Amino acid sequence: MDRDGDGPSLDRRNFLAGVGSAGAALVAGCTSRAKKDQFELEGDIEISGSSTVFPLAEAVAEQFMINYPEVNISVKSTGSGGGFENHFCPGASQFNNASRAITDGERDLCGENGVEPIELTVATDALTVVANNNANWLDCLTVDELRQVWSRDGPETWAAINEDWPDEPIKRFGPADTSGTFDYFREAVLGEEHDHAKDYEPTEKDNLIVQGVQGSEFATGYFGFSYYYNNPDSVTAVPIDDGDGCVEPSVKTAKNGEYTPLSRPLFTYVAKDALAEEHVAEFARFYIEQSGNQELVADRVGYVPNTEAAVQSQLETLEAALEEVS
Amino acid sequence: MSEHNPDTAFAGVSRLRGRIFGSLAKAASWLGVVVLAWLLFMVVVDAFGLTAASTDWYLGALVGFGAPLATYSAYLYWKRPDLRWIAVRATVIPPAGLIFAGAIFVLFLVFEPFFWFLYYTIAVLPAVAVYGHFATRDDTRAPLAAGFVGVVGLVIGYFVEPLILIMPLPWIMLVWVLVVPAGALIAYRQAPEDRQQQVTILGTGVAGGVLASYLGPALIGVTPDTAVILYAATLLPVAWYNGAVLANDRSAWPGLLGPVVALGAIGGGIVLGGLVGTTGPEPVLDWQFLTSAPSTLPANAGLFPAIVGSVFIIAIVAIVSFVVGVGAAIYLEEYAPQTGVGGTITRIIRVNIANLAGVPSVVYGLLGLGLFVNLIGMGLGIVLVAGLTLSLLILPIVIISAQEAIRSVPEEVREASYGMGATRWQTIREVVLPRAVPGVLTGTILALSRAIGETAPLLMIGAATTVFRPPTGFASQVSAMPLQVFYWSFHQKSAFRELIAPAGVVTLLVVMLSMNVLAIYLRNRYEQQA
Repeated sequence: MDRDGDGPSLDRRNFLAGVGSAGAALVAGCTSRAKKDQFELEGDIEISGSSTVFPLAEAVAEQFMINYPEVNISVKSTGSGGGFENHFCPGASQFNNASRAITDGERDLCGENGVEPIELTVATDALTVVANNNANWLDCLTVDELRQVWSRDGPETWAAINEDWPDEPIKRFGPADTSGTFDYFREAVLGEEHDHAKDYEPTEKDNLIVQGVQGSEFATGYFGFSYYYNNPDSVTAVPIDDGDGCVEPSVKTAKNGEYTPLSRPLFTYVAKDALAEEHVAEFARFYIEQSGNQELVADRVGYVPNTEAAVQSQLETLEAALEEVS
Repeated sequence: MSEHNPDTAFAGVSRLRGRIFGSLAKAASWLGVVVLAWLLFMVVVDAFGLTAASTDWYLGALVGFGAPLATYSAYLYWKRPDLRWIAVRATVIPPAGLIFAGAIFVLFLVFEPFFWFLYYTIAVLPAVAVYGHFATRDDTRAPLAAGFVGVVGLVIGYFVEPLILIMPLPWIMLVWVLVVPAGALIAYRQAPEDRQQQVTILGTGVAGGVLASYLGPALIGVTPDTAVILYAATLLPVAWYNGAVLANDRSAWPGLLGPVVALGAIGGGIVLGGLVGTTGPEPVLDWQFLTSAPSTLPANAGLFPAIVGSVFIIAIVAIVSFVVGVGAAIYLEEYAPQTGVGGTITRIIRVNIANLAGVPSVVYGLLGLGLFVNLIGMGLGIVLVAGLTLSLLILPIVIISAQEAIRSVPEEVREASYGMGATRWQTIREVVLPRAVPGVLTGTILALSRAIGETAPLLMIGAATTVFRPPTGFASQVSAMPLQVFYWSFHQKSAFRELIAPAGVVTLLVVMLSMNVLAIYLRNRYEQQA
């Protein structure tokens, strides 16, 4: 027993004690590798599309992820058309926001890839025509005058439209022709027979339009309501007369339908097959529910929320699509 | 003596043009400096909300901040000038350790601690042990044996991993993976001969790690895992440096007060400014900003996912561009034919690489989109595509700077190596590369700090405008700091354009400047060695 003498046997005892206690500590400090299943939903969602709808989608996504921490949403601002063509129809994103309805060509493209878009209305925008803060003379525009301002080869000076206005050249600032806002404005104001003016400063960025308009008393421009709502002092919104008197753009006038023809629906399109995944379906539902939320849609982003009835009808559209895929 | 007076010696020559040229050059450089300084100043003012603070706040803060710092500097300058560098190093180590802890933290976001634990235990550790065993016997097969053991460990780990259902608690794994090797390294460096002292150092270090996992949550409210990471990356190096300085010279202790004085100065500035001032600054760039996700509310907005995204992208870029770039440079300088038809091809390739360095970054974005997304079929806007695209972007710069570094190694040194019978491979490995390393590293890191600020290629490959979570793997959707700044600077809310975007710019600049500092540090270090 004591063949090795006292020293080594003590060492061995110490060694065994050390190994034993380390092993005990390890066993006590062990835990299961299985994933804790405390969140019901998990997965990724990609949203592409219109830069106009982007702030709304961002706000909804942020809110959704507070409720479902295991869902990861990324939002890309690509423009309505760019989103359909490069992201949504090839199947790279599950949602595509659009500030105009999907075109037949885009529907075909999606169809070729087996993506079926479900259209959901998520808010209403009041497209806002703005003028310089010093341009007091520009206190109202009829739709016909607006059409003349933005027609190709139209009048070159303000006086040529209305002789009370100054004899100065019109300076135009507006969205680029890749934008859904451009498409909607052309359709609603210019119609089939007029082309959109070529002689203007196109940009994708609303605050560049504002800077342009701030630079000259004889400048005008147009963009989505959200930017004006968040920066009401930078430029002046011009009331629009569609035959029933001058109406200023606001959440109220767009909601009760007085602000025509420039209030427009904003959409998101969801790929029908993607709805089979529970987290996508739940997000679509949440998006529609939030589209009626005054605090989120109007106060935070600056669009007109859906009415209660609109929310209900959109939910029915969604539930019908959900029935089909499940 | 008159011929020594330049004004009279060259009496016939007009020096006017030279003088004008000199002052124009001076004006040009000053213009650049002033414009840049003004830009930085404006951005910093916005990011830290400095306009909100009143004059008396600045006075109070200046006294509170300046007094301790000035006293300490004066003491060092007059009484202990020998401790200057010790004080500087001691002050730099804690913040550098914090940054390092952040990097480790990000690594554990991608690969869960268990991954490290498993492969460290059954591949890295045995490989190191085998290497040590062979190396101590001067056996040249050491790298081969270690590599073999490591690969076997990796393979076993790959098959065993799914079978393991329980694991140690994360903080225990972190102690094993981080603290034990760090402690062993310190023990070995501090007491290469003394077994007894090695055990003491290692034991103390590990005990400290265990203690940190309990004290961290209780004292500063972090998780035990984070506490262990902070301990390993910050406290251990500080303890090591302080211990080493004191063991060398017990009277050097005033030099180690540097970080305490710096912390006291910052705290003193804030406290005194708060006491005296009517209104303090309202910084946007604070802890909340660095650790929060983006938000539609300015008060909640943060940069965290974009910071982690940038780190991920840069990690890929660093590995790819270094390996491919330095490899290509070595080939072009050392192996490629220099004469005949082959030499012509080599020259054409060189000229083309130089031209590629000037191609606009948007074009590389399109190349990335076409090559990685459309042709190979990787996802739009994922980490891997972003990293590979930016690698392509800086590859020409890395190759050129590595070529320059290799070319600057004198030909005589190579000839001498060949003359002693060394092979080409031995010459490259033992003679050329060690001398070229400073230049190669500097060029690579400067190229990386260009890559981290690139926006256009990321827009082209469809990187997300907003992601709310940091990426968790190479296939995750990613945003990056410059992208987030780009988006904020056109936001419809003015608070984002005027306050949040500058805060993002300052963060990006700090990261870039730290990378440049690292480049300079590495160059100086290796130049001294070479």
